[in-house]
Amino acid sequence: MSALSSHVLEEIKELPAKYPQPRSAVMPALDLAQEELGHLTPEAMSEVAAALELDPGYVEGVATFYSLFHLAPTGKHRFYVCTNLSCALRGADEIVERVRKQIGVGSSDQVSPDGLFSYEEVECLGACEYAPMMRLDHRYYYDLTAEKVDALVAERRSSSPLTPTLSPEGERERRSSSPLTPALSPEGERGKKPRAPRKKKADG
Amino acid sequence: MPDVNLTIDGKKLTVPAGTLIVEAAKTIGIEIPVFCYHHKLDPVGACRLCLVDFSPGPPRPQTACTTPVSEGMVVRTQSAMAVQARADILEFELANHPLDCPVCDKGGECPLQDFTFRHGYPTSRIDGPRLHFKKPIPLSDKIALDRERCVLCYRCTRYYDEVAWEQELTTDERGVQSFITSQFDRPLQSIFSGNIIDLCPVGALTSRVWRFESRPWDMSHSETICSRCSVGCSVTQWQRRGQLVRVTSRENDDIDEGWICDRGRFDYTDVNDPSRVRTPTIAGRKSTWADAISLVAARIKGRGAKLGISLAQDVTNEEAFLFRRLLDGPLKGAKVKMHGRTAIPAPAAPTMRIREIDDARVIIVVASDIENDVPIIDLRVKKAVSKRGAKLIVVYPEGVDLDRHPHTVHIRNAKGAAAAEVRKLAAHDLLTDPGGPVAILFGDGHGSEDMNELAAACGALAEQVGGKEMPLYRATNERGALAAGVAGWDKLDGVEAILSWGPPPTAGIPRSAKFIAAWDHLPRPGYESAVVLPAATFAERQGSYTNVEGTVQFLRPPIPVQPPLKEGWELLCELGAALGLKLDYPGIFPIQRELASKVPALASLAQPPSPDPAPPPVLVGPAHP
Amino acid sequence: MAELRGSSGDAPNHILTRWFGTPDLHTLDVYEAKAGGYKALRKALLDMSPAEITGEVKTSGLRGRGGAGFATGTKWGFINRDAPGPKYVVVNADESEPGTSKDRYILENSPHMLVEGILIAAYAVGANQAWVYIRGEYDEPSRMLTEAIEEARAKGYAGPKPMGKDYPLDIRLYRGHGAYICGEETALLESLEGKRAQPRSRPPFPAVKGAWGRPTLLNNVETLATVPWIINNGGAAYAKLGTDKSPGTRLMSVSGNVRKPGVYEVELGQTFRHVIMELAGGVPEGRNLKVFWPGGSSAPVLPASMLDTKTDMESLAAARSMGGSGGVIVMDDTHCIVKAAHRLLQFYAYESCGKCTPCRIGGDWAVRTYERILAGEGSQVELDTLIRVSDGLQNGRCLCGLGDSAGWVIDSTIRHFREEYEDHALRHECNVGKVPAIA
Repeated sequence: MSALSSHVLEEIKELPAKYPQPRSAVMPALDLAQEELGHLTPEAMSEVAAALELDPGYVEGVATFYSLFHLAPTGKHRFYVCTNLSCALRGADEIVERVRKQIGVGSSDQVSPDGLFSYEEVECLGACEYAPMMRLDHRYYYDLTAEKVDALVAERRSSSPLTPTLSPEGERERRSSSPLTPALSPEGERGKKPRAPRKKKADG
Repeated sequence: MPDVNLTIDGKKLTVPAGTLIVEAAKTIGIEIPVFCYHHKLDPVGACRLCLVDFSPGPPRPQTACTTPVSEGMVVRTQSAMAVQARADILEFELANHPLDCPVCDKGGECPLQDFTFRHGYPTSRIDGPRLHFKKPIPLSDKIALDRERCVLCYRCTRYYDEVAWEQELTTDERGVQSFITSQFDRPLQSIFSGNIIDLCPVGALTSRVWRFESRPWDMSHSETICSRCSVGCSVTQWQRRGQLVRVTSRENDDIDEGWICDRGRFDYTDVNDPSRVRTPTIAGRKSTWADAISLVAARIKGRGAKLGISLAQDVTNEEAFLFRRLLDGPLKGAKVKMHGRTAIPAPAAPTMRIREIDDARVIIVVASDIENDVPIIDLRVKKAVSKRGAKLIVVYPEGVDLDRHPHTVHIRNAKGAAAAEVRKLAAHDLLTDPGGPVAILFGDGHGSEDMNELAAACGALAEQVGGKEMPLYRATNERGALAAGVAGWDKLDGVEAILSWGPPPTAGIPRSAKFIAAWDHLPRPGYESAVVLPAATFAERQGSYTNVEGTVQFLRPPIPVQPPLKEGWELLCELGAALGLKLDYPGIFPIQRELASKVPALASLAQPPSPDPAPPPVLVGPAHP
Repeated sequence: MAELRGSSGDAPNHILTRWFGTPDLHTLDVYEAKAGGYKALRKALLDMSPAEITGEVKTSGLRGRGGAGFATGTKWGFINRDAPGPKYVVVNADESEPGTSKDRYILENSPHMLVEGILIAAYAVGANQAWVYIRGEYDEPSRMLTEAIEEARAKGYAGPKPMGKDYPLDIRLYRGHGAYICGEETALLESLEGKRAQPRSRPPFPAVKGAWGRPTLLNNVETLATVPWIINNGGAAYAKLGTDKSPGTRLMSVSGNVRKPGVYEVELGQTFRHVIMELAGGVPEGRNLKVFWPGGSSAPVLPASMLDTKTDMESLAAARSMGGSGGVIVMDDTHCIVKAAHRLLQFYAYESCGKCTPCRIGGDWAVRTYERILAGEGSQVELDTLIRVSDGLQNGRCLCGLGDSAGWVIDSTIRHFREEYEDHALRHECNVGKVPAIA
């Protein structure tokens, strides 16, 4: 019983041919594995290594180097709150406190009891003019306040689709271009995999 | 390219172009301390310990290990900045380093100790907690890792990646949290793992076989040759109180370039086994040499083909010669079987030398898994491919470790069909215009190939593509035994009595046969009624081996043979006398001279062993800045 | 609709940001129709020779906008266009320098401007394939850039015969996965090769042996995004702006304790007073400006008294600082400099790759020393340790600039705010708020 689905393993096996040298496929491959499983287990890393014909040790060394690869469970939603200088000067520490309180964990190596949340204090995310800010579910959220944090947590807890009023600032609503069509998607790039539709709330 | 003239610390010198500053300094006895730099690994400039000033050059200090010399360069290793930089870096290295010297096996031969004494600050400014790791970590049953002592020079992981082409040893995390680990904490599997012990400049990687055993100054050592396979790597064997306590590598650029495999490094503890046989016994009862030898003679005399002689793979040239004389005389007709032999016939002409692999443009490896058969040659092939751009073709039924290189061409032949594949190779893309010498290494597929066919095919290919051949004999002294004519391949069918020279064979013994005599260092099942003559092990016996390429190398045992043990050649002479054959050699040298005169392949035995290598120069740095 | 925070619209110094804010500027159609997009690429491919293109960039005097400020045209000239075998353009979109968000600003507002610049650069240096190394956290900018590249391919501006020219050009993305060190050229190349991102010893330089062992041109996003304007208007026109040695304009992200944080396009030579007090609105009511980092956290700090320092590289060098990434972080007098320095050292220690001894050990040692000081356990010994560590991190001791930057944080904050450090270390007190305001 392998950790990764055959679909993901197939994709990984096709990666090395897309780069001038096969080892470059390691990072995108780990990315695919982490997307599927939520975090990287030793089994997943071994399977990635086997699919790329590399030693697991090599893959392990790469995976542990980069901050975005997680080797422990992270829950479904991970709050990456920037606490570097520009955000710290605008109250990032309080935002971290609020997140901790709302998701119910004491430190960044914990996952909330309902398995939904974890957080991490991260370094500069490159959006300093919107400080304090954070990254959540592959999006940036700006000009954070305690209220906004509360709303973001509540929204995910209820697992209802995002309502317009709670759309995060910086959301590119004004963008009108269509999503990538498969025929044009550059192979191996992120963005070509369709997102799974959000579950609708049972009692509407 | 012409040589380069430069000045280091006011001294003028001339060195070949491309020499790194750190190596140039060594030639005039100036020590520039290094951790991450190792002359067999690609330089990285990671530890920053070798910072020097040089002009013309950038205003900031540069690492001497990554900078080649240039004409007219003026290097200062003792400028205020360089002296302080080195002391600062050493202080940084010591900031988290545990105060383990009293219990650390590296003490006494530790570059960190030596460099701190010679280049570091005389007092410590470090207080406050150090970074801690769980320790020691068993990387395998032979190697222990201490992460607190590790200075993260990355020599071990770089060696694994560059030289051995494996990544089971890796670095996890980053920054000060980095640590060395085996993949997923599994034990190291590689046959090349032990070299990291020699590479490690501190006590982070230590031998578990030699753990807490002795201090360097308590041991005496001898520069000798490994007995575990046909490559014949140079090793240093260390003894203390008559025990062989460790084996380390010794650089011989013609053969091993300073690497040894784990068999050679760790498989020596049988020498110290308390149950070693030390006196002759007859059916388990202690006896005298005289009685034992005469009984052996009586038992093996006149048996003809009913006598089987099993020869250990490390029978020396001298012993082999004496066996030849016995087999030509009183033991005529006996069947001889040599352990671990390949089916490759004796070479018809001089064969390729190991160092010639370096210059090959295409390397072809046939019918051999060289990683396990001749490990250090495997490393040499890897070096030629990854560092010198050689192309690699493998003809073998199964996957081998050489497949790790993305450009290895692997032709999977059906067992027994290697010769047919070799005959097709001359037309291969890579061989139509190799651009230089071609190296053809061939084994016997562990008996699955017809060696006459394969040898002929390889010979033909060599002619067609401008290649040189290296038949991959496997047994330690297979070539020496072949030259002396005792590398038997006989089946032991019909044999009633077996004389075992060295450990007995594990297979191929007919049920009817009995061990009547053995020259061995350990008791074995099957010896119950035999005459057992105590053997001198590889760490004690004198003699020579002929390695896979035909080079004769002399053993220099660290432990002299003490009575009641006898040298093998000595015993054979006495046995000969008991059998009525006068083998009258007062010492080993006369045997060697006679052997040299009779067997052209062993002519170099006439030369006395080369003198002990000159001790490395003591490099001097300041006592402290 | 998310608001644009920063420069946009018509102004003499709005070279890059002139059209920002135009609806759908990120689409190829609008970029072409409204912003004169892809005229430069057409001119470069069809009317100019590669040497002429590089010549214009040299004439412009454009300097790298990533941090090092190396002359861009000179860098392009290092690539031997005629050497056999593939060459690459690698775009450093790893933007992780604290206080810096200008590349993101470009990617979200006008990704085509970058695409056009990359294609021109690739043609000029003899590369057919460009790789954009973009930090993994930039999900949205990655998507937008990917779309822009797709549109360019669909329109035939990239591909086997871009604009009909028989010279294949393509751009691919490679995502980073969270490591500031990947902003360093050679560490980025290691990461691109699928390894742990540890910088390489130089020489050899990337122009000789870069990505996958091939000659490589590495440039920052903003640097390449400036190229279309230079080709359209000529290098001489660019050189007219700014100062002699630092021509042109640059995007400066202003953040921290300012009323109007944003990414502002500034003509080099303007003062920081203009940038911080006028463009960014100064510090909040009732507070005083205390200190600012002129070029990301890696640039040595300048106190409020040096607000009139000019933004060009030479003026900053004379002030013992540097232009760096152009990320201006402003701190007012309600914040403690020792705590700020501590936080930054935590950043450097966390991001240290661990390859070289001084950065690996020194960063962590400094953090622990700051902790002791801030916990009221400090003394002269701790201050001396900080200075000793700072010395050990600078002047060629480290393999790359990360270590130097960590050293500069300690060095410059102690130099300008010694008393505050001594308050903490020797007197075990924090007197934030008592630093004199600017005149």
